[in-house]
Amino acid sequence: MKLDQEQIKRLFLSLLLLCALLYGYFAYLLGPLQQSVVAANNGINSTIPAISDDKKQIATTADLESKAPKATAFLTAIKNSIPDGEPIAWFPPKMADFFKARGIDKCTTNIVSESPDTMPGFKRIVWTIDVPKIGFVPLGMAISTLENTEPLMTVTNVSIEAMREDAEYQHATLTVTTLVKS
Amino acid sequence: MPLHVNLYHEVQAQERARQRDPLRLGMLGLLVIAIGFVVYYVIAVGSAHTVASQYAALQSEYSRLDPKAQAAKAREAELNDSISASDTMMKEVDGRFYWAPVLDQILQTVPLNVQLTQVGASLGSPASGTNVLTITGISSASEPRKAAEQLRTALAARLGKQFKNVNAFFKTLDDSDEVVVLNGARLPTATFTIEFDLKVNDPALDTPPPTRHAKT
Repeated sequence: MKLDQEQIKRLFLSLLLLCALLYGYFAYLLGPLQQSVVAANNGINSTIPAISDDKKQIATTADLESKAPKATAFLTAIKNSIPDGEPIAWFPPKMADFFKARGIDKCTTNIVSESPDTMPGFKRIVWTIDVPKIGFVPLGMAISTLENTEPLMTVTNVSIEAMREDAEYQHATLTVTTLVKS
Repeated sequence: MPLHVNLYHEVQAQERARQRDPLRLGMLGLLVIAIGFVVYYVIAVGSAHTVASQYAALQSEYSRLDPKAQAAKAREAELNDSISASDTMMKEVDGRFYWAPVLDQILQTVPLNVQLTQVGASLGSPASGTNVLTITGISSASEPRKAAEQLRTALAARLGKQFKNVNAFFKTLDDSDEVVVLNGARLPTATFTIEFDLKVNDPALDTPPPTRHAKT
């Protein structure tokens, strides 16, 4: 079979057209489609772990939230135990009442210094509690009770001096540090 | 035998030639391929649409979850801070040094022939972990210095049961001119000051209340 000139020309043109169509098909139809599929797959691959992480984070927080009241109960109780207002207004009367309840009428409490604590929301106050006349045993019991019932108080210094005029009694000075809300 | 004459052979030859035209056959082939490409493209579009809708659903879920997760993260940090603060507070409270047991030990150790005139107790720095107890008094015995020494060793031994390391030493120990009458006997006296360096045990001691009378 022999092709004439006209047929060769038409065949050539057809091949050109075919090439153009193939180029258009791959470059403008299939190519972008594949790119969008690849992009979507990449997105899926990165979104699934992100969703998993988010779910994990939400679950962790929910778990922590359920445990938190128990874990922070101590701090909550401590905070609730601190009276509102300036410590100078409530701490000296509290100490006076404390010693009065133990038969010691005279007790002077003075503030020495005040500084912020390392724990946010708290400050540290140093006080001196001067008890001019007290027996050794009542003093020991009072210190014991203070140490056991006042968790935010630390007795940093105790000075006990025998009284010259009455050897049964002592003059005691306590230096205590308290944590209060700042 | 009848003679058969085909008067249309030229027409038929032309028809055959037309049917066997390579251009036509090529075009038919191309048409088939093109239909194949179109079908493939339609399938690919369907597949891409499925993937895209899956991605869109995931993105929608992510955009719904992510703000919650961010809020949860912030809340977690807040809760961790609270828990950490609570733990720190608990450690601080539990780690306090209690002086009442020390006073109790003094109360139980000081014998009748010793009178304490001064007791000083102070917390050392947390870094050193050493607290200092100082007692000053008068001992009366036939050998008053020995009585003071007995007090030092006895109190050091008692405190040694509660603290890691107790270092007890005399700051002063002097004979005194005073004479004390004890149980009808006149006894010489000595004044002393003893310092006890108490290395703190961990955890801190409990605080039983004192049970006996002191002899200060």
